[in-house]
Amino acid sequence: MRRSKWVVGIAVSLMVLGLFRPSRAEPVLRWGGDSEGGAPYVFRNPTHPDELIGFEVDLMNELARRLGMRAEFVQNQWDSLIPGLKRGDYDVVCNGLEITDDRKREVLFSEPYFLTYEQLTVRREEQAVQSLDSARGKVAGTVKYTLAERMLTAHGGIEVRGYDSQTAVYEDLAHARLDLVLLDHPIAVYYGAPDSRLKLVGRPIGDMAYGLAVRLDDAALQSKLNQALLQMRKEGKLREIYDRWGIWNLRMGEAFQDFAPSRPAVELKSYLAAMGKTRDWKQQAVQYWSFVPLLAQGAVTTLQLSAIGMMIAVSLGLLLALSRIYGNWWLSGLATVYIEAIRGTPLLIQLFFIFYGLPSLGVKLSPFVAAVIGLGLNYGAYEAEVYRAGFSSVPKSQMDAALSLGMNRLQALWHVIIPQATRVALPPMTNDFISLLKDSSLVSVITMVELTKVYGQLASTYYDYLGIGLLTAAMYFLIGLPFVRLSRSLEKRFTRGRHPVY
Amino acid sequence: MSPSSFIRVDGLHKNFGETPILRGVDLSIRKGEATFLIGRSGCGKSTFLRCLNGLESFDFGRIRVGQVDVRMGAGSRLNERQVRGLRNHFGMVFQSFNLFPHLTVLENAIKAPMVVKGLSRAEAEAIAVPLLEKVGLRDRLLSYPGQISGGQQQRAAIARALAMNPTVMLYDEPTSALDPFLVDEVFQVMRQLAAEGMTQVVVTHEHRFAREAADQVVFMEDGVVVESGSSEQIFSAPSDERTRQFVRRYG
Repeated sequence: MRRSKWVVGIAVSLMVLGLFRPSRAEPVLRWGGDSEGGAPYVFRNPTHPDELIGFEVDLMNELARRLGMRAEFVQNQWDSLIPGLKRGDYDVVCNGLEITDDRKREVLFSEPYFLTYEQLTVRREEQAVQSLDSARGKVAGTVKYTLAERMLTAHGGIEVRGYDSQTAVYEDLAHARLDLVLLDHPIAVYYGAPDSRLKLVGRPIGDMAYGLAVRLDDAALQSKLNQALLQMRKEGKLREIYDRWGIWNLRMGEAFQDFAPSRPAVELKSYLAAMGKTRDWKQQAVQYWSFVPLLAQGAVTTLQLSAIGMMIAVSLGLLLALSRIYGNWWLSGLATVYIEAIRGTPLLIQLFFIFYGLPSLGVKLSPFVAAVIGLGLNYGAYEAEVYRAGFSSVPKSQMDAALSLGMNRLQALWHVIIPQATRVALPPMTNDFISLLKDSSLVSVITMVELTKVYGQLASTYYDYLGIGLLTAAMYFLIGLPFVRLSRSLEKRFTRGRHPVY
Repeated sequence: MSPSSFIRVDGLHKNFGETPILRGVDLSIRKGEATFLIGRSGCGKSTFLRCLNGLESFDFGRIRVGQVDVRMGAGSRLNERQVRGLRNHFGMVFQSFNLFPHLTVLENAIKAPMVVKGLSRAEAEAIAVPLLEKVGLRDRLLSYPGQISGGQQQRAAIARALAMNPTVMLYDEPTSALDPFLVDEVFQVMRQLAAEGMTQVVVTHEHRFAREAADQVVFMEDGVVVESGSSEQIFSAPSDERTRQFVRRYG
């Protein structure tokens, strides 16, 4: 009992500390992207996994410097980047966002900072497929919600499979689950070309222009960014970045009227070196060890989210359960409607609603607050039913006894009924908490970087879903453990006197 | 109210929905006396007891105890102040003991004094421990209800009620849930309290005990008091035909 008290105490103080972050005076340019999107855009440095690198990181750092600011990266799910921008979680989106007419209705785009095209990749022995036309009747893989996916679908005659990440696409191509992959050229350079089982074929397909996105009412920032981009282009700084990352291409040459030979792609080389390096078990162990601080950071966030979320859920659940049992007809009806509505709808949609939906009603919550409220409101409904079961396990005569001793209802509840109900409710409560711990990974859709997100970033950087997956699973297990033990000892405490000990 | 009666009930009516349970109960109880309510199950005696200490509200009638005067008429409802007034006077002992199973015997007895009267633990124990000793539980203070016999539990429940310093003790079939050989240890405590001058109202089917210990016996049927009097009078020479039948069969 005493030990688990300590453990929880330490966990809580860690959480409180974690809530305070130092702030600096220098103006900050906050930009959004999804580091799980992988190389060469924004991704974790394979040799220093606590660092985010990529050509867009270089680009944004340089742009911010020229605006007299400091660039700060904000993580968000790729398909939520524009909603996050509109909410004001960051002021710029820079993450391979193609300039399209649809998006122009939602955001202001800068001049294109990078031009590219779709690249076909097939297995080395493949002879027939050289273009989309020659791919009829074949199975094509790509990433969901991209231009490539739309092009494949529009082309017709090709079976299209949409993936969540590019690593899996190329892996499936190598394993012959797919016949071809169509993805942006930089992705093909980093994920397709280095794989000796695959080759890039055919001519450039389509035209793509990546733009920096800002909010519709932020024309001032748009023009500042445009000026800085133009300056970087004139000074050759843009080309220098793209050369280093090995992604300078024909389209860029044509657009910039710059046909000089490329300089060495040092970043691409060091990336491939880091990825291709075969490690003995010792080096492997050292590398895994280097992931631990990162995963631990994610674990702290997960713990904060879960613990505070659970506190909200517990209080709300208690309130709901009491309303259902002791409330008058409208209070108990309200509680019932709430419980059924929340239990009947997915947590994911509730989170989206709170984070992206409420701002249009004038309620804008920070990601952390939105996340704990979302988790708390959701789990509160489940807790309510757990407590109701607990309450109905306490005979009505206990209330009679407490009242006849002069206690009022509240005193009777607190001193007599709740302690007994808790004994019954504790095991399912523990269950719910453990499950909340894992459901908290859903909040990565609202820009929170917690344990599962860190896992996704690391795993997509290293293609290592097994090793890092086990490591992450161990983390979840470890942070859940103190609570399991706490609940065991509480259970024992509440069970005191239940069994005769003559 | 005659000066000698400490509790006076007039025309108490109580319905559960459409079903009348009490149909005008009149009763007068003197201080320091033991009153036994007898009658068939469902005659309303338990409900009457629960009305006395406000666990049940009633529809019409009047209860007076000490300075407390609770009157019910059309549309009126029992308010907090009235309930508190009644409960200050009455301690209650239940058929199934209703001890708090998560608390020790001692904690059961000090909980309400601490919570309701705001006593410190030490003050509450100074009251509760002698009472628990009086009912013979000196060596069971730290036991949980689940660890002691039914007779011990009921004695603990009596001590728990006494710890709130009531002027009247109510017993709702206090020995019905007990093995026959445990019944007497509870009666012994009740006898002792009577000897100390405690006013007691007992609902019971133990007519042998009622005959022996009652200052007043009240026979109820169909929600009204049929007849009341000394135990001699009710058990040996009832004046009402219904009482006579009941006593002949069960007495």
